[in-house]
Amino acid sequence: MRRLLPLLLLLLGTALPAAAATPTPASDAFPYTLHTDTLPNGLTVVRVPYPSRGIIAYVTVVRVGSRNEVEPGRTGFAHFFEHMMFKGTKTHPEGDRERILGNFGYDDNAFTTDDITLYYSYGPTAGLPQLIEIEADRFRNLEYSEPSFQTEALAVLGEYHKNAAAPFLKMEEELNAAAFTRHTYQHTTMGFYKDIQAMPQAYDYSRTFFERWYTPDNTLLFIIGDFDDAKVMELVRQHYGPWDRKAAQVSVPAEPPQKGPRTAHIDWPQPTQPRQVIAWRTPGAGTSPTDAAIQTLLVDYLAGPTSPAYKTLVLDKQLVESIGSDYSEHRDPHLFTLTATLKDERHRDTVRKTLLQEVSRLAAGRVDAARLKAIQDHARYGALMALETPRDVGIQLGWYAGVTGSPDGFQRHLQSLPKVTPAQLSDFTKRYLTANKLILLSLTPKTDAQGGTK
Amino acid sequence: MKTRALMSLTALLGLAGCVTTPQAPPPDENAPPPAVPAQAAAPEPAPQPARPEAVPATPLRQPKPMEQVVLARPDSPIVSFRLVFHTGSVDDPKGKEGLTALTAQLMAEGGTQKLTASQLLEALYPMAAELDVFVDKEFTTLSGRVHKDFLTRFQNIFTDVLLAPRLDAAELERLRANAISDVENGLRSANDEALGKVALDALLYQGHPYAHFTGGTVQGLKAITLDDVKAHAQRVFTQDRLVIGLAGAVDDALAQALSSRLSALPEKGAPRVELPAVPTTAGRTVIIQKPTLSTAVSMGFVSTIRRGDPDFFPVAFAMSNLGEHRQSIGVLFTELREKRGLNYGDYAYAEHFIESPGTTYNRTNIARTQQDLSLWIRPVVPTNGVFATRGAVFFLDQMVKEGIPQERFELMRGFLQGYTRLWEQTDQRRLGYAIDGLFYGTPDFLEQYRQAMAKMTPQSVQEALRRRVQPEALNFAFVTEDAEGLAQALRSGAPSPITYASPKSEELLTQDQAISSSKLPLRPEAIQVIPAQQFMEK
Repeated sequence: MRRLLPLLLLLLGTALPAAAATPTPASDAFPYTLHTDTLPNGLTVVRVPYPSRGIIAYVTVVRVGSRNEVEPGRTGFAHFFEHMMFKGTKTHPEGDRERILGNFGYDDNAFTTDDITLYYSYGPTAGLPQLIEIEADRFRNLEYSEPSFQTEALAVLGEYHKNAAAPFLKMEEELNAAAFTRHTYQHTTMGFYKDIQAMPQAYDYSRTFFERWYTPDNTLLFIIGDFDDAKVMELVRQHYGPWDRKAAQVSVPAEPPQKGPRTAHIDWPQPTQPRQVIAWRTPGAGTSPTDAAIQTLLVDYLAGPTSPAYKTLVLDKQLVESIGSDYSEHRDPHLFTLTATLKDERHRDTVRKTLLQEVSRLAAGRVDAARLKAIQDHARYGALMALETPRDVGIQLGWYAGVTGSPDGFQRHLQSLPKVTPAQLSDFTKRYLTANKLILLSLTPKTDAQGGTK
Repeated sequence: MKTRALMSLTALLGLAGCVTTPQAPPPDENAPPPAVPAQAAAPEPAPQPARPEAVPATPLRQPKPMEQVVLARPDSPIVSFRLVFHTGSVDDPKGKEGLTALTAQLMAEGGTQKLTASQLLEALYPMAAELDVFVDKEFTTLSGRVHKDFLTRFQNIFTDVLLAPRLDAAELERLRANAISDVENGLRSANDEALGKVALDALLYQGHPYAHFTGGTVQGLKAITLDDVKAHAQRVFTQDRLVIGLAGAVDDALAQALSSRLSALPEKGAPRVELPAVPTTAGRTVIIQKPTLSTAVSMGFVSTIRRGDPDFFPVAFAMSNLGEHRQSIGVLFTELREKRGLNYGDYAYAEHFIESPGTTYNRTNIARTQQDLSLWIRPVVPTNGVFATRGAVFFLDQMVKEGIPQERFELMRGFLQGYTRLWEQTDQRRLGYAIDGLFYGTPDFLEQYRQAMAKMTPQSVQEALRRRVQPEALNFAFVTEDAEGLAQALRSGAPSPITYASPKSEELLTQDQAISSSKLPLRPEAIQVIPAQQFMEK
């Protein structure tokens, strides 16, 4: 039920004049105040005063990621589209953005995940009027030629090549393919290699993608720094107000329940360390802040630097270089993982068993409450220490807002962390980290004796 | 700032006398074919000065022992510690390459006399305190951050790491194994871009203490004993090599307490390593062979300037114009990626660049006595390897010969006036710049840069470029699978035409013809192929 709430709010938002929420006050966990308004077209606008001496961060998050790539052959499109957003409009053709924003010295970039596409510009407050105008213009009126589209597809291919040298991309590809049979989390954000190679032929689809997802009711804007709030809101209303598209109703296929353990294996044709990933399908952060908080804490409880597994495997027996987790918050049910970078193939079973024993112990209700408390303290202070610049604040707020659909998703997350009890940690483990829902991924280097490759 | 601009010519004349050394190789070794017929399009009538035969090791300045830099910011709840030691991989003894990095790592992670490695982690963990070490060629930085709620406790642990490290044998073995794996599995195998950069370092500084990988060589790491580590810590982590940085929620009492505790470090370290002059030999190529989908390219030369030289600011400005790191405003990014779709990005640097994690900015406290100027072409499909290399040289050459057009110049000046402010947004970075300023003799470096930019003109920048940046001085490093094929293509000097799957303008296609047939400034007899598996073995 919780999941419907943000959607309903947005639908109501379209019929009403700009709705100003009560500011979300600063707290010990997040020492900044959020001023949130929703424009009549559904765009959520959040301003966060921050003592940054003439610097602002301007973050736009669109709730679109590789999760939204439902058509076969079109994987990697959300990320590709992020690149295209820098290609200009009729008013500001390609190159204009660099000329206008460049003059102020903005760090101007973007990234895409499974669930969101986040754009940020970080630089002088003095450029804010120009920035608001040029940002609103591209979100409303993006226009690019087919040759420009085709050329940019090659830059994306270059990005794939850059990422392909290390085993991580391949591991993510194989793990996702093993874990998801129907849901679009089956492919990575980069997309399938063959789809990336075919991108230059998909110009028409790219226009559809823009119309479908780049809509005010699917977008949240965050402005962090020191600026005149009334003036900024006036400019935001003026430039974003006429943006009038509505997000498409395209449903993402639900993943059926997993009926038994699954495995996947990679032979890596270059020298590398053997790897082991243990994964389980777990609830998404879009539906339950509590489940998201539990999983955040579980990462360090099971594989953090003070966990028994770390002490045994990394420090005492030295069987692995490192252990950890690739868990990150997702909108829909995704994966909780434990990862190990082994020193030797021979220790794979020992390492896997040690990690699984920790899971079993937790599921059996044996929780080290003092360690959970230390993890909660770490999370609280870690969050405070991580918010060093307006850009840090903007990206954190944008990320959680994009995943949860709520502008204060990040604060809610921080507030949920200290409330998690030992019993909840154990119950979650018992319920979700089960043998039946296990997915095991192994990677082994396969090279010939001379050190060359097969 | 008028004085600075006026000073530049005299200072330059002064420097011109001290850049030649007796150890330099004979001049004819340094004579590759020119990239483009010399002076052909030069608007300036003055001939381009000859490049010196070697870059001498003019020592960096020496701050007084345990000099303090304190940047108090009472409104912040976080305290930043930054201890910068004037030691790095140049202090690694021959045959023990990696000793400084391994020693620093063992101190930072291996526990203290009071706390085992595991207890150290447990103590730091609830505070979410950061304790990091970074080792470069000449500097080692031990940095810490903590919320003021835990200041005293953290300060004791942070200083114990230096004053009473555990130097435990089992931890040494763990960290040594990781360091060897970083070379064998990381550098050689998993990151072609980093590999290309390290290969370029090794090529430019052949025979110099900068040449080996900062993390060590496989055989060097294997040869290190616990006694080596203990002795090395006493030799290099000493008062006379230390600058103490403190920022955020700090006061005089804290600064004093920290100094007082650190005065337990050995007073004097080993004599400073005397760096040799670096020959400016040009036109050499190294190709690292490994299985890969693409070709990574780095190119550069040992620079005759570093921060503090009057030409540094205009050259830094010009290199940002050519390719500010990971910003779309650079010429190379626009020409090679945006217009031609060759790869993910293309950048240029006036001094050695190591990306600071989570940012697009250079690290601080990686100062070097002898700097390098470089261009970085991110992986391209192998068939475009030679074209992309030619393209980068072409646009560098064009900038040196034709200068930066006025409109473009104004844009870049506006960009850097704002963008350089982002380089100093955190306490650790502000400390880093202030500490670098002590060694380079450049107080208030970024503000000085912004003031210098206000006085620059396209002409003054071009004059500095012509004095300091010669495309024909470049050396090249590639990482690719078909190394012999690439070597053959480079040796032959045959044109490397490019085709596109999408329509391009006539103007671009004409420029492509000029690029694809331009002569690369490399010497066919100085091309070396090294299998990745042998790289940084010893």
